[in-house]
Amino acid sequence: MATTTATITLASSDIADNSLSISNTMTLTTAGTATGITETTGLARKKIASATEVDLLTLANLEVTALKSAKVYIKNTSTATDKYATIGVGQATGTPIYLGRLYGGDWTLFPWSAILTDGDGQAASIIDGGASGHAANDDITIKMSDATETVIEYMLFFE
Amino acid sequence: MATTTATLTLSSADLLTDSLSLSATQTLHKAGTTTGLDGIQYERLEVAAGTQYDMIDATAAGANKANKVYVANKHTDETKYVEIYVAALQIGRLYAGDWMFIPLEAAAATQDVSVKGITTAQVIEFALIHEGKTLVAS
Repeated sequence: MATTTATITLASSDIADNSLSISNTMTLTTAGTATGITETTGLARKKIASATEVDLLTLANLEVTALKSAKVYIKNTSTATDKYATIGVGQATGTPIYLGRLYGGDWTLFPWSAILTDGDGQAASIIDGGASGHAANDDITIKMSDATETVIEYMLFFE
Repeated sequence: MATTTATLTLSSADLLTDSLSLSATQTLHKAGTTTGLDGIQYERLEVAAGTQYDMIDATAAGANKANKVYVANKHTDETKYVEIYVAALQIGRLYAGDWMFIPLEAAAATQDVSVKGITTAQVIEFALIHEGKTLVAS
């Protein structure tokens, strides 16, 4: 088993009267255990020079087990603070649910359910007339604010 | 303007053949600017099991901005987790000890961030660092 840790430090001396100092370290483990995650895509970089929505991580091309403890790291390596990448969950050709914007220099780390359509054991998806938001595979999508070539760095930890 | 930074350190000596040592620091700016985010909401609460609750309501003042959300599951039993939702879509599970940090576009009023405790009530901490919220009139 591997031991992988992720530490976040959120700090500010002036966002409020008192300083903000949050520090938290997690060990990346398989779901419901203390066993370290052993699978990763490795750290990757992708150049994107289009404002068209595309998949950053295509679920059908990965061996990620749904509803476990997968984690996704993404960073917009650009230094342009007026341009951004919108990160979504869903299908690039459909209507993904958008998390938010990564402006130049921004990063994110979040857990990923990685649910395939109708393979989730949940209520029927919208596309099937149900209420579940999982109307499509939960790919990780990305859409740049314009066609300026931008390097996106990403890494997936999974089981 | 405030200066707030978020630093990530990812490390492992044995996940790959070579050591993994990644560090990334961002300064939290307002959308499209180099002006620091200056609003914050920071809470710790217990989430009951079985029901999905909104932690963060997407409001018009925060729409299409560079809001950031931090969530940590402070439970200690590694078998327990909470589910995190954005706009009613389950994004992922935060097991005990896990944390996440995401940007929140909040483009629509439905783009709330919500949480559901699974099996048992669990304590979470969350912070929303933002550049505007629409207050609800009393």
